[in-house]
Amino acid sequence: MKTVIRTWIVNGKKYTVEFPPMRRLLDVIRETLGLKGTKEGCGEGECGACSILLNHEPVTSCLIAAGQVPDGAEILTIEGLELTHEGQELQRMYVAKGAAQCGFCIPGMLVASYAHVTGDHPDNSDAALREAHAGNICRCTGYAKIIEAVSAAAERLSHEDEDDDT
Amino acid sequence: MSATVSSTYRNVGKGLPRRDGEEKVRGLAAYADDIPVPDGWHGWVVRSPVSRGRLKKLNFDPAFDWSRVCVVTPEDIPGENVVDMVGRDMPFIAHDWIQFKGEPIALVAAPTRALAREAASHITPEIEEQPAILTLREVVDQFQRDPKSLHEMVAQTISKGSVEQGFAEADVVVEGEYWSGHQEQLYIEPQGMVAFPEPDGGIFIQGSLQCPYYVAPELIVTLNLPLEKIRVKQTAVGGGFGGKEDFPTLIAGYCALLAMKCGKPVKIIFDRNQDILYTTKRHPSWVRHRTGLKRDGTITAMKVDFLLDGGAYTTLSPVVLYRGILHSTLGYKCPHVYVDGHVYRTNTFPNGAFRGFGAPQAIWALESHMDRCAHKLSMAPEAFRLHNALRLGDTTATGQTIAEAMGTPTVLENTLAHSQFVEKQKRCSRGDPKADCWYGIGLSFFAHGAGFTGDGESRLKAKAALDLEILHDGEPGINIRISSTEMGQGTFTIMPQIAADGLAIPLDRVCCPHPDTKYVPDSGPTVASRTTMIVGSTVFDAARKLKTQLEAYASETFFGGAPTELNNGLFKNTYTSVSLPFERVAKQLIAEKGPQRVYHQFQLPASLKWDQKTFKGDSYPSYSWGCNVAEVEVNPLTLEIKVLRITSTWDIGRVINPVLAKGQVEGGLTQALGYAVMEKMGIKNGVFDANRMQTYVVPTSMDVPEMDIHFVEYPYTHTALGAKGVGEVSMDGLAPSVANAVEAATGVRLTEIPITPEKLWEKLRETASSAI
Ligand code: FES
Ligand code: FES
Repeated sequence: MKTVIRTWIVNGKKYTVEFPPMRRLLDVIRETLGLKGTKEGCGEGECGACSILLNHEPVTSCLIAAGQVPDGAEILTIEGLELTHEGQELQRMYVAKGAAQCGFCIPGMLVASYAHVTGDHPDNSDAALREAHAGNICRCTGYAKIIEAVSAAAERLSHEDEDDDT
Repeated sequence: MSATVSSTYRNVGKGLPRRDGEEKVRGLAAYADDIPVPDGWHGWVVRSPVSRGRLKKLNFDPAFDWSRVCVVTPEDIPGENVVDMVGRDMPFIAHDWIQFKGEPIALVAAPTRALAREAASHITPEIEEQPAILTLREVVDQFQRDPKSLHEMVAQTISKGSVEQGFAEADVVVEGEYWSGHQEQLYIEPQGMVAFPEPDGGIFIQGSLQCPYYVAPELIVTLNLPLEKIRVKQTAVGGGFGGKEDFPTLIAGYCALLAMKCGKPVKIIFDRNQDILYTTKRHPSWVRHRTGLKRDGTITAMKVDFLLDGGAYTTLSPVVLYRGILHSTLGYKCPHVYVDGHVYRTNTFPNGAFRGFGAPQAIWALESHMDRCAHKLSMAPEAFRLHNALRLGDTTATGQTIAEAMGTPTVLENTLAHSQFVEKQKRCSRGDPKADCWYGIGLSFFAHGAGFTGDGESRLKAKAALDLEILHDGEPGINIRISSTEMGQGTFTIMPQIAADGLAIPLDRVCCPHPDTKYVPDSGPTVASRTTMIVGSTVFDAARKLKTQLEAYASETFFGGAPTELNNGLFKNTYTSVSLPFERVAKQLIAEKGPQRVYHQFQLPASLKWDQKTFKGDSYPSYSWGCNVAEVEVNPLTLEIKVLRITSTWDIGRVINPVLAKGQVEGGLTQALGYAVMEKMGIKNGVFDANRMQTYVVPTSMDVPEMDIHFVEYPYTHTALGAKGVGEVSMDGLAPSVANAVEAATGVRLTEIPITPEKLWEKLRETASSAI
């Protein structure tokens, strides 16, 4: 069977992987790279459980053919979030506020949170936070505690920015 | 009682963070599809393409190389070809009659999923098709014309007083019919299971499930193995909501049958499309109320017809029906009640457990109807409910006396105050043609039977064990051994809180591992809002028992027999100031006598009386109570319905962890919001029409309104812990409060959920044309 070889930066480390070109990025992440934190909830771009950052943009990895991801691409998955300061802060607040219940949506949800707080001038109003997570379905929590957690993390991160400025 | 117990609580009542929080936010929790399965094969289910008929034979394409795959047909089943649930009418693999489209007709396993799937496509059945009945509409039509022509799966009545007399005493009689459709649990982790053949001929099943002791014993007759050879372990579970209560037995059975035949581990993980098409749903319902009323608002008679669409096989339908009819008049005093409940077969996927288990259907109808009754009498909806609400000393439809203080009518009064219901009523638009936006506010008030129906807990005899042993960190501590599962609701957090307080030791010395039938006794299934109430209380009592044993050992070994008490992690005796930490004593005990296990078994109060035949007596050990006020806005042009705010109050007994309890309510209300206004699923050509996430639309973060949530605590007095249930009550009652609010906004009542702009449009048109 025809395969392709790619070298990517995954969670800050260089990996070379080989796979059939039409394989979903989600499968390459889970099966080839063995990073099981990224989940499949629907396989059709609706639930957001498979969200990752591809070159700093959140994408649903179930809809991407891995062969289309070029050499040198940067991928950040849930396993890499804790290597970042913002990721750690978000994880801490998710736990503190009780944002995770079954936890299955959480890797994708956290990726959405991370993309939001690390974006340019994030708007942290309740409405903006809800919009930033609208592509991620959670069936357990009713989202209240997730929004609360992101809001608390964003608040803390923005204070740090102020400290940096002074 | 509660005062002394409360004072010993250091963890119970606190909103401590989840035990499994860290592994979940780091992506480390291992769900069914994440566990390693070396050399594993993938299973696939071959399904019937017709809804009903006689299966004549299966054709295997001779051009396909069958040596590469493993096929299981009914002849390969070592035991009986039957799913051993409440009813025994469902075969594991259809062998004669097909009763629904999608019914399994063969199983296939292969080294890759693609090959298993390909092999499946080379198996074609010959079926002599027969007419099928597919929808609840057809059932209700026939029920009204000729009920005998229907296939009845189960029927049950409740009777109190004489409804004829009640109607004779009434000044007014109010009638109404209410419909509800299928609802999909839509846990985000699809169903998945792996079966590993064991060297001794047994089978080890791991996967996403709510009830290890449903799966294991239910497979005995099919696999023809003794219980000891069927080991079941729960992996992390990505949501259940009832969907992983009864169904996992099927998927575990498919994996086990294939694994036993091919000798390899076999894994089946459904994709979303399969998961929606081929797993159980909430039963669609049709409920007809006839209520007799006095002018002053007193209810004199309630007559209810309660019909459920069971789907093709019985599964848990009897139990769902029982809970449904018991909740169909619950919450109100009435001397004369008659409830007639039936489940009828349709040739569609069997319906099964879903959070609420019949109660949401019952309460949808009841609380819509109570508003209708109030309206008919020109009474305010809250005044009508306050007038009739059950209070201490009153009796329910089954004759159960409300014998302990409960959240009725406090939850109602509290919610009215917090929501400013009475003041806001005046603002309701009631379809005002001049308004740019229609506003409405609506109310619902309800109870949820806590624990199993009737004396179910007596028959079940829930057990919990505590193992005093060396934990993974090398220090002594407690492993809680229960079959109750964690699926997001917080079992693994609250159980350590409870056990630590029962023992009076530090929380970090207590663990609650994933249940594995090899180690845990049967604490019953994780259903019916019973885990905290029943199993939690059993864990608490087991902890008290172990505490006494530890104190005796410490007294004898370290304090020369002087009375010794374990408190706050320290053993102290009354005479000296010397104290010894728990770890020191426990270590010595384990070194001397080995790990220690204590058991405890739950006992219902002897005073609880229940007659399962006549449905008379105490239908539940206790009740949780809830009240919702929903505020809605309807756009008069587009008829788009927006739920603006939900105010609610809950009596769930003692709150063990307020953060988790509130999380349960927020999640339950969100699912209930979907049930009320979004989640639409019909039957088309014999299968569910919304078969993907794109078409089965559930609430997102943008759809969820502001939620103002309050708790009032009326502890269950039979247990020291005093918890009742929170899991289901939050799902039960939102839909009618929204329907009541929509009526207040638009002036028309909708009697079918989900409430959609299309249905509202039809109703407004109907009402306008009948007014001309
Ligand atoms: S699995 Fe990719 S969006 Fe659902
Ligand atoms: S926590 Fe269960 S789906 Fe979000």
